Amino acid sequence: MATEVLWWIFAVAIVGTSAGVVFSGSVIHAAIFLILSLAGVGTMYVFLTVEFLALVQFLIYGGAVTVLILLALMLTRMGVSGRPERATGGQAPFAAVVGLGLAAVLVGVAFVTDWRESVPDNPINVPIQLISERLFNDFGAPFLLAAALLLVAMVGAIILARQEEGE
Amino acid sequence: MVPMENYLALSGIIFSLGVYGVLARRNAVLVLMGIELMLNAVSLNFVTFAAYLDPDRVLGAIFAVFVITVAAAEVGLALAIVIRLYRVRQTANVDEANILKW
Repeated sequence: MATEVLWWIFAVAIVGTSAGVVFSGSVIHAAIFLILSLAGVGTMYVFLTVEFLALVQFLIYGGAVTVLILLALMLTRMGVSGRPERATGGQAPFAAVVGLGLAAVLVGVAFVTDWRESVPDNPINVPIQLISERLFNDFGAPFLLAAALLLVAMVGAIILARQEEGE
Repeated sequence: MVPMENYLALSGIIFSLGVYGVLARRNAVLVLMGIELMLNAVSLNFVTFAAYLDPDRVLGAIFAVFVITVAAAEVGLALAIVIRLYRVRQTANVDEANILKW
């Protein structure tokens, strides 16, 4: 019972902070809301008994990715240029229609479908050992590909952001 | 445990908010934040399905690890492009980045 109450508190907080990300007028406020929203999804992983993912979420999203976004916001100096920036373009009403329609479809499908859940009554936590065994045995090749992808993306980012001669 | 439908509805709402952010925002960094919301909703969906429908409940976590890896690579690259765009055009608004537009 206490779990359900906590779950609803966190779910409402996640929806609220996610709405803050897309509706907030200030970019810095949007970034702060994004940190809270990502941390909230991390707590959802705790409710789903996958603590390892919650840890990864807090470290990589709550730490690294949001720091990158804040750094880019500072480097591009949004909102200090004097003229007030409009946060949304003229296409915003159509975007709202698309978003609302998609939300209605996704939520409706989630509740209408018969999922045949096979969850045990008292599920044990997913152990890190099991995750690592599957990750390094069955998914070894994708793991190496992901490592190569990260390396290529980082080198590409450095080359793109570098100040070139005569620029 | 909390019913599975609740997690699916939550991730659907987060995904739709992300779609709205991507479509409506003008600032490239804010568009990127919408993409982050969408990626998070997808990971949450993967982990939910694994936790409720997969007998050994591990596969969703592995998929989510890959999603997080690709998201990290994507955000680094995209922010480098935004910084480059700002240097060339003095703006980070996606509707003013029309160099490639015919």
